[in-house]
This record gives sequence, C-alpha cells and structure tokens, in this order.
Amino acid sequence: MNCIAQNIMSKDERLSQILEMIERIAALDLDHKLPVSKNNDRLDAISLGLNMLSEELKDNTVEKEQLDKTNKKLEQFAYSTAHDLKSPLNSLSGLVYLLANTVSEENSDAQDIIVKIASTVDKMKNLVHGILEYSVVADPTELKSEVNLKEIVNEIIETDRYEDNITIRVDHFEKKIEFNRTILLRILRNLISNAVKYCDKPNCEIKIKVTEKENKAVISVIDNGPGIPFDEKDKIFELFHKYDPEGTHESQGIGLATVKNLLQSTGEDIWVESKEGKGSNFYFTIGVNDNIK
Amino acid sequence: MGEVSNKAITSEISPGIIDFRENSKIKFTLYEDGIFETECFPDTVMTYEDGLESTRITSEILGKIPKPLLCDLSNVISMSKECRKHFAGEDHAKTFTKCALIVTKPIGKMIGNFFLGLNKPLKPTRIFLDRKKAIEWLKESD
Repeated sequence: MNCIAQNIMSKDERLSQILEMIERIAALDLDHKLPVSKNNDRLDAISLGLNMLSEELKDNTVEKEQLDKTNKKLEQFAYSTAHDLKSPLNSLSGLVYLLANTVSEENSDAQDIIVKIASTVDKMKNLVHGILEYSVVADPTELKSEVNLKEIVNEIIETDRYEDNITIRVDHFEKKIEFNRTILLRILRNLISNAVKYCDKPNCEIKIKVTEKENKAVISVIDNGPGIPFDEKDKIFELFHKYDPEGTHESQGIGLATVKNLLQSTGEDIWVESKEGKGSNFYFTIGVNDNIK
Repeated sequence: MGEVSNKAITSEISPGIIDFRENSKIKFTLYEDGIFETECFPDTVMTYEDGLESTRITSEILGKIPKPLLCDLSNVISMSKECRKHFAGEDHAKTFTKCALIVTKPIGKMIGNFFLGLNKPLKPTRIFLDRKKAIEWLKESD
C-alpha cells in the first residue's frame, strides 16, 4: 500500500487492519504484512511490530519443522543401527557362553575376564533394547479399547517378579478408561520398574491413582523413594539423561524418555512432582473426556 | 528514499570531530571523546546489505580499535531481521565496545526493543530516550 493511501486511511480502518493481522497470526497465516507509513505514529509502530513478530514466528515455525524432520531421521538411524547391532550382539553373547564353558574353571584370570566380557555384552544388549523400545512409538492406527488398570498392573507384577517387600496398590476408579493397552502397559512397566529400582526404603510402596482433570484422565504413579531434585524434573525425561547421584543403579537413561515419547506420540503428556526424601509422583494424561464413561 | 548509493563520502570535518562520512542512508561521525555516532537520514529502510556496508565503513574509520557506539534510530522506519541479526552479531561486537540506542519515535522504539529482546546483541546494549544520558553511559567504563 502506498503512503498516500495509508495517510488517508482512518484510525478505525487501520485498527481493523491490525485486528485482522492478529487473527491471521493466530491462524499461523504468516505471509501477510501490514502497511507502515512514514508518519511514524504509534499505529505504525504496532504494525511494524506485528510484521516483525509474524516474520520471526514464520522463521521459527520453518526451523522447528526442519528440526523435527532431522530428529525423525536421527531416530530412524538410531533404530536401524540398534536393530542391526542386535543380531551380532546375540551371537557374541552365545560365543561368550561357549568360551566360558571351554576355558578351564581353574584358570581364574581367564574366567574373570570372561565374566567382564559377558557383563559388558549384557550392558550393550540393554542399551540396544532400550533404543529399540524408544524408537518404536505408538501406532496411531491401533484402536483404543477399554483397559483395566488392576489387570495391567497384575500382569506387570507377574512378569517382572517383584520381591515381597514391594507393594503396589491400584486405587479403584469407577469410570471406564479407554486407551491403547500395549502403550499403557509399557508406560506403567517403565514407571513401576523405576520406582522399584530407585527405592531406598526397606518397603517399597507404589500407589496408582486415576483422577479427572480438564477433560483428561490423569494417572499418577506415586512412590516412597528418594525423590527428585527440582532442577532434574524436566531433565529426567531427556534421552540418555541419567539421574543417579549415588552411581549405584544400572541405567541407560532411556526408560523415561521412552515413556514421554510414547505419550507424546498419542498427544498426551507426562510430568513429575517430587520432594527430595519424600518420594515422587509421576502424572500422565490419557484420553479425553469421551473416553471416560 | 531515493536512489540508493552506499559509497561513503568524506565531508569537511568540524571541530571536535575526528572523522565524518556519509552514504545515502547513514551519517558516520567519530568524535574526539572516542564516541562513534551513526544517524540515519529521514525515513530510512535498513536492509542486510545496508547493515554490512555500515559495518564496512565503520571498520574503515575505526581500524581495529573498537569504540562505544551512539546509534540514533529516530529516523529508521524499518529494519530487516537479517540486518538486526548482523548488528547483534560477532562482527559488530568486534567493532564496538558497547552500544547506546537512541529512540525518540515509536517505530525506532519498537525496533530497539525487538533488537534487545529477540536478537540479544553480543555487546552491551541499552535503549535511551535521552542523548545526554546515552553519552554518559557510553563514557562510564571508558
């Protein structure tokens, strides 16, 4: 728009243009530009400011799309690399077993080395398994079905064979929850196994509750473990980030990243509330209100 | 704006001024007290190329000795994001020790705030409404 046209425009017309621009920005239509006259008045400053915001937002949106694509490629690369490593690692594991049986038990030096090799191979296998778990996100085409939390938790307890000092209690929830059962099982298995692994009390108590908040079902996994410092609350969900101040736990830093990845791939979220020494409360959302009947 | 020519012209130097040049958009002045000032002509639209040319002319005047910059944004009516990025970056931080932006009109104020908030210049930078206070701040650590 030329300057003369801009100058004869009324204040109301200019305000209407500004409102329209804000609506366009809200709709992520970021190619529009407001005219800025040489009057250098406050409406010109607002118009220029909106133009600059729109431009910056467009750049950030494009940048984010590129980053998302790169991340996707990296995840695919990690998956295929982990997948390709799985088979040779299994072979190596078998060979170490054969070697252990071949070397005389009296040769303690050699046996020690074999034990160390076997332990290293196991760590590598766990890492590869973790990367594969992380990379396999939810299949959006998989249908949701009614899930029974108690039944899922019982399945985890039976499969993972927890010791007697571990109590897992699932609170009764009257309404019906619908979600992808496989994903929910993976999420709960990860959270429960973390609570068990890091528990520092003689009796490990885990409580699972469901509440409703803002049209979502919120499942919380509450433990009586050592808790998590405030500045670790977000970091613990990052891939390969390990929080283990004592350095006494075997961890790849993949479990919670996998849980977050699984939830985000279904449009859900996870967060933690915790006080050091007083346990942690992991919350995650599932479904919308339609799924709770 | 008329025809754009970035060729710098050296004008007659007044007392208190060590060097003075101008191109089609900006006047560049190096004062005896060590302050370097840039002031745009009315209704200036600053592009990335203008930013690069401005830094080139400045480097020519200052050599390799960084000086405090007094930058009057009053006459600027638009500055591209690439230009803002350049002024916030390493080359500019090597040329100037600190930067005082003078904003006396709404558009200049908006550009100044974007520059500080979004571009986060590497050199110490502050916005001033008052030229005298800006000069005082520029002289503070010199």
